[in-house]
Amino acid sequence: MLTRIEGGRVIDPANDRDEIGDIWMGDGRIVEAPLDARADATYNAVGKIVMAGAIDIHSHIAGWSVNTARLLLPEFRLGSAVRPGTTPASSAGWPAFEIGCLYAAMGFTTVVEPAVSPHYALHAHLELADIPIIDKATLAVLGNDDFLLSLMRAKESAAAVRDYVAWTLAATRSLGIKVINAGGAAAFKENIREFSLDDVVPSYDVSSREIVKTLQRAVTDLGVPHPLHVHCNNLGIAGSADTALATIAAADGLPLHLAHLQFYGYGKEGERGFSSAAAHLAEAVNAAKSVTIDVGQVMFGQTVTVSLDVLRQFKARNQARPRKWAILDGDANGAGIVPYNYRSADFYNAVQWAVGMELFLLIDDPWRVFFTTDHPNGAPFTAYPEILALLMSRDLRAQWIATLPAAAIAVTTLPSINREYSLVEIATMTRAAPARLLGLWDRGHLGAGAVADVAVYENAPDRAKMFRSAALVFKHGALVVRDGMPTQRGFGRALAIEPGRDRAIDRRMKAYYDSRYGLSDDLIKVPDHAIGGPEPFELVPCAR
Amino acid sequence: MGQAWIDGMPAALPTAVAAAARLLDASRQPVIAGLGTDVAGARAAIALAQRIGAAVDHMNADALLRDLDVMRESGAMLTTPHETQLRADTLLLVGSGLIDAWSELPQHLFGATGAPDGRGRRERLIFWLCPGRDGGAAGKAAIIGHEAGELPELLAALRARVNGRPVGKIGVSAPELDELAGALKAARFGVAVWSAAELDALAIEMLCGIVNDLNATTRFSGLPLAPGDNAVGVQQVCGWMMGFAVRSGLGRTYPVHDPWQYRAARLVDSGEADCVLWISAYRVATPQWHGDPPIIALAPADTKFPTSPRIHIAVGCPGRDHECVEYCAMIGTLASVAATHRSKALSVADAIASIAAQLSTEPLSC
Repeated sequence: MLTRIEGGRVIDPANDRDEIGDIWMGDGRIVEAPLDARADATYNAVGKIVMAGAIDIHSHIAGWSVNTARLLLPEFRLGSAVRPGTTPASSAGWPAFEIGCLYAAMGFTTVVEPAVSPHYALHAHLELADIPIIDKATLAVLGNDDFLLSLMRAKESAAAVRDYVAWTLAATRSLGIKVINAGGAAAFKENIREFSLDDVVPSYDVSSREIVKTLQRAVTDLGVPHPLHVHCNNLGIAGSADTALATIAAADGLPLHLAHLQFYGYGKEGERGFSSAAAHLAEAVNAAKSVTIDVGQVMFGQTVTVSLDVLRQFKARNQARPRKWAILDGDANGAGIVPYNYRSADFYNAVQWAVGMELFLLIDDPWRVFFTTDHPNGAPFTAYPEILALLMSRDLRAQWIATLPAAAIAVTTLPSINREYSLVEIATMTRAAPARLLGLWDRGHLGAGAVADVAVYENAPDRAKMFRSAALVFKHGALVVRDGMPTQRGFGRALAIEPGRDRAIDRRMKAYYDSRYGLSDDLIKVPDHAIGGPEPFELVPCAR
Repeated sequence: MGQAWIDGMPAALPTAVAAAARLLDASRQPVIAGLGTDVAGARAAIALAQRIGAAVDHMNADALLRDLDVMRESGAMLTTPHETQLRADTLLLVGSGLIDAWSELPQHLFGATGAPDGRGRRERLIFWLCPGRDGGAAGKAAIIGHEAGELPELLAALRARVNGRPVGKIGVSAPELDELAGALKAARFGVAVWSAAELDALAIEMLCGIVNDLNATTRFSGLPLAPGDNAVGVQQVCGWMMGFAVRSGLGRTYPVHDPWQYRAARLVDSGEADCVLWISAYRVATPQWHGDPPIIALAPADTKFPTSPRIHIAVGCPGRDHECVEYCAMIGTLASVAATHRSKALSVADAIASIAAQLSTEPLSC
């Protein structure tokens, strides 16, 4: 069965293509145009924009924290049917089923849940399995766990850490490793309330910096394509830019990904001691070629923050709107769920919004800045179309700026920025670059051999409308969305990686779980049969 | 032993399955209740509920929702049994029913604690407020107050003293109360433990308030003991499939959460429910209501109902007759569990799939 998408403007930065042309699909893959040019099915894309399916590298869509947010906030969906994406309902964490439909409607076909505490991996994968249409992946969170900290305290070899990281990836069926406020959750359990890059975790005598560097080296040496994904210390506070700058410097020329940098884009200037430091951060990112970042854009409205950065969430709980929250001191990592309402009239929230915009616009390489709201922390993912429109129009930004507190805008550089993202840059940031960052060689582009995940948009002047509701979306070559409405709801797979390891670590982990917890390590593993369905996982190759 | 019965008479399984599907097809307000099942069974049950427009309840929903109500009204700090076992230097056990909820509690929590990294051992301080019938299991715990009726006053007074506010005379002496408040404030990592099966929501809220207040200067957290019958596991499935807790209804094709309206016993006793799918795979348990709508029971073969259900299909026990995913109290989340005595007994998920295959209504698309 050959399918042709005919006559659209094909924007495929990974293959340096931007031209009017056709896309051919067969057996779920992009194929070369056949010599006889005969298709079994043809879709007319004349006047439309054709891109690969979009990839979201950082969106909290599944797991204990997300599900607890749903249970915490029933009023966000009280008695409601499917509601528009901009209502508060959209931020509470939709049921799994709606997540897939809403992402697909925007042309997204692969989404990464970036914060899975290893003991909760099975839960996260069960939720992901109930998300239709899109493919999924998880990042496993290390850096507050007794096993790693003990290895480091004992000054065990880099090989031991590597084997443990590889074991974790295999047990949790993850695509990469994330570290969240490295050591911060462990320190908080010992009543530490301030924790920065060079602070030391009590009992283990290792610093946050050492944890980041140790994991960065292990991930790099294992050939895991996705660099260590770092949620820095001191999220959200005035002066957090210093922590982010120090972390960028700590990359030392090796790959490192900094998540939701917007939440670290704050200086201490101005009357209120809170200002944008985005220009400094962007300059540092521009100079540090091994570093990638995603933004974590804030948009105004009700949302709920979910994070394993328990220290930060604990401190934020008194700002909860509505006033309720859940804080977990979990095994290894913690978690915190704190509802929050970003208000456009609020000085601080307006600065946050501007910082995100500045980072998008001042980091000059669209291959190294990634498109996220840290869903749902900065805004629900359903706000993406509005953000894309803002990035593509200086005039639209000016309209927004005019409605925000002037004092807030005054501590940013946003009004002076003229840049407007082109469609090619949007396609790079949301397709080509994420695929490369995650090591998904057959996604994010439209060359022959790629997975036939394709999004077709009307070339509408209203970019928000265009990106909210794709004209056509194909997943593995099958039509799944027409005019923003799902037409077919199959279930995708979870992408995982399994670097080689010395199997001695398996025996060691068995003994560790037996002695520390009195339990089998099998309890935290994610077997295929527990997820159900044929082939719930797809293995992604290592870089070496 | 048979696999299926219709009105108490042995029946061929396909006949019972077809009869169950006919009942559900004809129902205008079906209820899926009990829900003592593994994650696969819960997923199948909720998918069925979406298709037939059923209400969804769990037999331990009262306890589940009492804890949840406190969290969604004010907030809660929580920890896991592991962290409690490994790290807690001070335990505040509250109320009775703890041993019912976790029979191994003394074995896991009454021993010495260590440094967070497992090195070094030291004794932990244990207080038990109003243990009631659990008093005999209190071991070395210091008992303060006895009966459940004393608890609201005791917790309120304790919260006042933790915050340095004066209190009037209560059943517990002022020095004893102050000593307790002082010990809690001196904890390095304390944990309050309770079972919502036997505490009311106001007592839980007061206790969670004490925990929160203690965090002004030290670390303290809470450990609500999970109700049985995989209640927490089922609750989690409800969360991601419906966006809501148990006691939600799908009669309008989209989920509506209303703990009063969708309580199975109320739906049955008011006559609103005209058909019940009763699920109890972990143990013999029968509905505790007075009404008598037709029941389709997915339950152990040896279940004796007060009156025979219209249809009874025998199911195996998750984790014994078949492998399963269920809430594992020790790790505080879902885990994959192998079968201890694998058998050919039907799983709840299989039984529901068979029934669903016979329904005349089409699956809902969303």
